[in-house]
Amino acid sequence: MYMIETKNLTKRFGSLTVFEDLDVTVKKGEVLVIIGPSGSGKSTFLRCLNHLEIPDGGEVFIEGEKLNVRNKKHMRNTIEKVGMVFQNFNLFHHMTVLQNVIEAPITVKHEAKQEVLKRAEGIIEKVGLSEKLDNYPSKLSGGQKQRVAIARSLAMRPDIMLFDEPTSSLDPELVGEVLGVMKNLAKEGMTMVVVTHEMGFAKEVADRVMFMDGGKIVEEGTPEQFFTAPKERRTKEFLNIIS
Amino acid sequence: MDINILKEMFPVLLKAGIMTMELTIISVILGTFIGVITALLKLSKNKLIATVAGFYTWLFRGTPMLLQLFFIYYGLPFVGLEFTPFQAALIGLSLNSGAYMGEIIRGGILSVDKGQFEACKSLGFTYLNTMKRVVLPQTFKIIIPSVGNEFITMLKDTSLVSTIAMVEIMRSAQLLYASSFRPLEPFFIAACFYLLMTTIFTTVFSYYEKRLSVY
Repeated sequence: MYMIETKNLTKRFGSLTVFEDLDVTVKKGEVLVIIGPSGSGKSTFLRCLNHLEIPDGGEVFIEGEKLNVRNKKHMRNTIEKVGMVFQNFNLFHHMTVLQNVIEAPITVKHEAKQEVLKRAEGIIEKVGLSEKLDNYPSKLSGGQKQRVAIARSLAMRPDIMLFDEPTSSLDPELVGEVLGVMKNLAKEGMTMVVVTHEMGFAKEVADRVMFMDGGKIVEEGTPEQFFTAPKERRTKEFLNIIS
Repeated sequence: MDINILKEMFPVLLKAGIMTMELTIISVILGTFIGVITALLKLSKNKLIATVAGFYTWLFRGTPMLLQLFFIYYGLPFVGLEFTPFQAALIGLSLNSGAYMGEIIRGGILSVDKGQFEACKSLGFTYLNTMKRVVLPQTFKIIIPSVGNEFITMLKDTSLVSTIAMVEIMRSAQLLYASSFRPLEPFFIAACFYLLMTTIFTTVFSYYEKRLSVY
């Protein structure tokens, strides 16, 4: 069974087709990095995986469970297993770091507060923010915010983590601390789908790199094969521009 | 102005002032409650529900409060609905306040960052929990200045219920004037009471505004 599987996944905005009939699978523990120029549909594809964008056609399976828009409860329960990290963090502004992390397990999963607190402190320590427990997000740097966002997702004990350009809105000197946390996660065996422009991260951490352009999967392969011997002309052009 | 007359009238107006305060607080609280529901209904994807809520705000923002109060107190008994002045005043004030609060809250919800909704959705929140735990708390911070404004407007608008035999501070001052033929003293004291109450509300609201600005 795949952790994520899409069949004929299609998304349109009005008359514009973002992508059509995409079949993608992700195995347990695999790190899939999706790269591509802006407007290639990679973020939209990622957002379809947990139905933040409702696809116009095709199906998404999370650990074998089909996401069904009509069965909201089943969909919520399935999506709980999929953590998501956004480009703009989307932390709850009115909650402290600790409150941000414990909110979902208590509200969504109805877990006992004491237990969640214990676990949350461990997770926050793991992302290196134990000193910031009682700070509001507005008092944190971008890198710290993103690490809290990762911790908030991890508190739900997800099986899969989606990253939507997690470092794109960070100052260059803050990118490293976020990528560091992500690398550790990958090492621990987390199944991850990452949309990013960080080629270094893709080379080092990805099990598979997928290049999207114009709503199509142009090429995919292992990082070695992809970065050293790309087959497609379009891939070569893209790699030339960014390197 | 005669200081002795002031002294004489003060206790009567104080009692009426408490009634004004009571009317204001109860109707704004009920109004907030109605407002939250109205705002959520107006934002509903269900067209019918949104239209009904829209009709309510259209009706109560589009007619004078004085007319609404007359309609409730003098008009409704003709269809078998009779209210005491206090009930009629509360119903009129709350429904009117609810219509304005509904718009204030709706605007507040719309100005909450869309990313907050997405974060909630990705974490598996239900719609109600998204609103209760994340969106409304942030809305309150945004709308506090407008709510403070609404509170003060409401406080002053309670003077309109003096026209439906409700004895609050304005009515009380009028009665004192009529019985003593001295307009200056009762209206002076009433003005002082209104200023005192608006000052209290303003202070409370700016305290909350400061407290919420920690994030």
